[in-house]
Amino acid sequence: MEKMLREIRERVMRNIDEARASSALEQIRVGVLGKKGELTGLLRGMGKLPPEERPKMGQLVNDVRAALEARLEERAKELAEKEKAARLEAEAIDVTLPGPGRSAGSLHPMNIALQKMVEIFVGMGYEVVEGPEVEYDHYNFELLNLPKNHPARDAQDTFYVDDNIVLRTHTSPVQARIMTTRKPPIRVICPGRVYRADEADATHSPVFHQMEGLVIDENITMGDLKGTLDEFARQMYGEGIRTRFRPSFFPFTEPSAEVDLTCANCRGEGCRMCKGTGWIEVLGAGMVNPKVLEMCGIDSRKYSGFAFGMGVERISLLKYNIPNLRYLYENDLRFLTQYR
Amino acid sequence: MKVPMKWLKEYVDINMPAEEYASRMVMTGTAVEGVDKTGEQFDKVVVGYVVSCVDHPNSDHLHICMVDVGEAEPIQIICGAPNVHAGMRVAAALDGAQLPGGKIKKGKMRGEVSMGMLCSGPELDVPAGLYPHIGDEGIIEIFEDVAPGTDVKEVFGLGDDVIDFEILANRPDCLSVWGLARESSAVLEEHFVMPEIAVEETGKGTFDDYAKVEVLDDQTCPRYCARVITDVKIGPSPKWMREYLYGAGVRPINNIVDITNFVMLETGHPMHAFDLSKVKDQTIVVRRARPGEHLTTLDGKEHVLDESMLVIADRENATGLAGIMGGEESEIVDDTASVLFECAAFERANNRVTARKLGIRTESSGRFEKGVCPETAMEALDRACMLVNMLECGNVVPGAFDHYPNPAQPVEIDAEVGRICRRIGVDVPAETMEDILNRLYIDTTLVDGKLLHCEIPAFRQDMETEADVSEEVLRMYGYDHIPSTLMNGVTMAGRRDPRTVFADRVKAALVGMGMFEVLNYSFISPRWIDSLGLDADDPRRSAVTLRNPLGEDTSVMRTSLVPSMLNTVAANLNRGNADGRLFELSKVFVPAEKAGDLPEEKRVLCLSAFGEGVDFYTVKNIVVALLAKFGVTAQIEAAGDGYYHPGRKAVLSVDGNKLAAMGEIHPDVAEKFDIKGRVYVAEVDLDALMPLEKDFYGVKPLPKFPSVSRDIAVVVDEKVGAGTMMDAIRKAAAKTLEDVKLFDIYRGEKLGKDKKSVAYAITLRAPDRTLTDEEINATMDKVLKALKEFGAELRA
Repeated sequence: MEKMLREIRERVMRNIDEARASSALEQIRVGVLGKKGELTGLLRGMGKLPPEERPKMGQLVNDVRAALEARLEERAKELAEKEKAARLEAEAIDVTLPGPGRSAGSLHPMNIALQKMVEIFVGMGYEVVEGPEVEYDHYNFELLNLPKNHPARDAQDTFYVDDNIVLRTHTSPVQARIMTTRKPPIRVICPGRVYRADEADATHSPVFHQMEGLVIDENITMGDLKGTLDEFARQMYGEGIRTRFRPSFFPFTEPSAEVDLTCANCRGEGCRMCKGTGWIEVLGAGMVNPKVLEMCGIDSRKYSGFAFGMGVERISLLKYNIPNLRYLYENDLRFLTQYR
Repeated sequence: MKVPMKWLKEYVDINMPAEEYASRMVMTGTAVEGVDKTGEQFDKVVVGYVVSCVDHPNSDHLHICMVDVGEAEPIQIICGAPNVHAGMRVAAALDGAQLPGGKIKKGKMRGEVSMGMLCSGPELDVPAGLYPHIGDEGIIEIFEDVAPGTDVKEVFGLGDDVIDFEILANRPDCLSVWGLARESSAVLEEHFVMPEIAVEETGKGTFDDYAKVEVLDDQTCPRYCARVITDVKIGPSPKWMREYLYGAGVRPINNIVDITNFVMLETGHPMHAFDLSKVKDQTIVVRRARPGEHLTTLDGKEHVLDESMLVIADRENATGLAGIMGGEESEIVDDTASVLFECAAFERANNRVTARKLGIRTESSGRFEKGVCPETAMEALDRACMLVNMLECGNVVPGAFDHYPNPAQPVEIDAEVGRICRRIGVDVPAETMEDILNRLYIDTTLVDGKLLHCEIPAFRQDMETEADVSEEVLRMYGYDHIPSTLMNGVTMAGRRDPRTVFADRVKAALVGMGMFEVLNYSFISPRWIDSLGLDADDPRRSAVTLRNPLGEDTSVMRTSLVPSMLNTVAANLNRGNADGRLFELSKVFVPAEKAGDLPEEKRVLCLSAFGEGVDFYTVKNIVVALLAKFGVTAQIEAAGDGYYHPGRKAVLSVDGNKLAAMGEIHPDVAEKFDIKGRVYVAEVDLDALMPLEKDFYGVKPLPKFPSVSRDIAVVVDEKVGAGTMMDAIRKAAAKTLEDVKLFDIYRGEKLGKDKKSVAYAITLRAPDRTLTDEEINATMDKVLKALKEFGAELRA
């Protein structure tokens, strides 16, 4: 009996070691420890032994059983680990394969720039206000100190609907609308589409976008205008970008300035983009002409203010190195998909 | 305005290179477009002396010339010009010379070596009139005794720097050499020296003996000055004058005409010269035109005038448009013997309106509409007469005509130093301000150290208020002194307007769905709207029309975004972009019902999809998902505009209000836009969608009781919408419905022709109890009853 036990133990131990799959291990377990298993059979046959031998034999069988169970469990763990490893290995996929489905589209680059511009000014406490694109001559010109038949109107080739209605040539009429309906303090930006009767070329488009800014309060100075535009330049194009003011003329501001920004391409060193000057002309600005304040019903002795207007396309062209304004209105997917 | 540096330097010292000067002017407010040199169009062209000239043996028109170009030996040049002859001085382009037409290289012509080219005026791109005989046939003959080898630019007076100023609308006084010299003197702190104007009246009699002028409209003609010149000898003007005119971009013609142009450029006063013998009765009348009056201008064009227009006339007929263009009859010609010089001021708005109405724009009209100072008109006229003396081309008759009934009143401005400083944000000392203004010829005295009393000179018509004074101070003091500060004051809450916020969210959702934003012009061709085949009374056919469009293609404001979208799709397909998903969010313009009102501007979204794997449901899913993002569920109906495929179009609405339309573009319409293949388009009315957005009103509690699922399959006519039935199920089972899904559509012979089987999985649940079989069956009966309304039969 003891010999038999030893033989079973050695054989089964060997079988366990040689088992290569969890399923083989289960077969072994059933063959030895199952209801009809060898060891179970031996225990069952104990009845035939003399009673004094039974405890000893019982002990021996149980020892073998415990040893086999322990080994089975250990081996099962080993095999399960192996099998999991094999399964994981087999499950490997080509992660470089492009997945199905579509990637995101994109906003138009003009709008990407515009959203950023708006965000910068909203952060500085400006409210965004919009106005009509088909506008009265009164708001587009007259309230801005551009009376009918004034030569300064020539700078803005205008589309007319009739004698009194135009396609707005700038976003400034929104200024006039705000000033005639609100009381200072005023701090607004007015983005939107504007129209000029210019044939489309690399730098002109009959339809384009502007963003107007207007601040009216007590004691507003031209220094505040410069500080505001300096902050805008920094946030839009990065540290080290400064503004340069040049005297200019707009009927609705006095003094007026053309504002250049440090060329973002060469950081002011001078390059092809800025024609070697280190500066790029970006926007027009100035102190709101007291005449305009008065026409709009604001006391020009108490209040002063500044206004600026910038071409969004121009800002976008500079920001994204777009070589030709026409790209923006051709809507070629080969161009648009580059902003994804 | 182009000004040769030499001309400026006659009146102000400019001791620096042209580029540096230009930059000083720019930084003080006089814009400069560029700095050029005259004669840059050619180089290596020298004076040659033709030593000998013989016929070319192998040609019937070429000549073999030996030309002394200042080198040790004469060089051989072949020349085909009929006027070439020995003993002539010519303009010889040497080997390697750059001409407007290309580079000159030595070579052989019909077997004979040619070391260069003898040039004509056009070959050097220099105008007739710049040098006598440039305009004659053949090559240029140089009549002066100039050493061979001399650069011809010296002979023609070329090589000077020319500054191209861009004069802004507020400074018409700078549209003149004197004005710019005066401005330069203020900028550079140099003296401005104007020539002393003195006319030698060498003619006989007085003005009235020769001519009569009547000004009948003081309002549009505030000043009219005239003088008479007799014994006129027409001929070329001197070299210096031709050189200046050419540099300024004006073609030299003859002494009298050149004088009028010279004076216009120098003083800013447009002038006109009449051949006095051709002026009927030697009488000039300045009056408004008679309605319907006809006039032929110098350029040979005939115009019909109206009574708003100011004309120059004889006793009967209009002969010229005042300040715009003269008439043909009294033009200066080679045998003109007596001349009447006109130097007037015409009112700018009237001048501008007339020029616009007639579609004429001349140098003169351009100046009058910007504003010509009446105060200095007589001075300019005398300058012209002084030049007649100088050029010895006629005798100035004593006396002048001067009609100036309302002389300009001097303008005075009192400006507060403190307020100027506050406005510009720079503390400029009061004395500095005073000094700056005086430099600008604004006679200024500082009162009590805080008030600037400014007497504005007549030529500064732009100066009216203290703000104008502040600009003068700041631009001369330097814009680079402006500090960078941020304003004090109440803190303000920045915010974006709700419509833009909404539009941006729509765009973000579409971008997330793989769509690309496009931008199209707001105006389109009316033909594009026609191409949609809308009904004759469709409101989209009536659009806001531009009075002066760039072209028919961009002449009406959009009433729909669809045509431009189709155009964009076509352009992309043409360029080989076979797949695309595009959207545009923009405005459409609905004309106002009342004339004179502004149109309504509505925000609309248009999207399109085309290419592989795209069908009706692609755009439908995008629109439905977009609506769902704002908590909006819409009813769908097979309907829509005629430009969609009749069997593939749908309208989405909420409570009967149309929100969106979509479909496949009708092949006939696609063809009109040159689109081959299928394009799917959707339109969403954003102004209608925005107010429908559901506020977030809290979550429903998670279910505590189990749900049950039941399937139902019905057979129904093909034309019944599976989605429509789904809506009916929702309604019928509303109380306990949790979800309904369509899971199968089957068509087969057994069902019969034009029939389909549609199967739905219905999930029911009550929030407060487990549903009983009776409740469930009752609900399912209701569902079936609702489906039977569509003629549906339970599938066996």
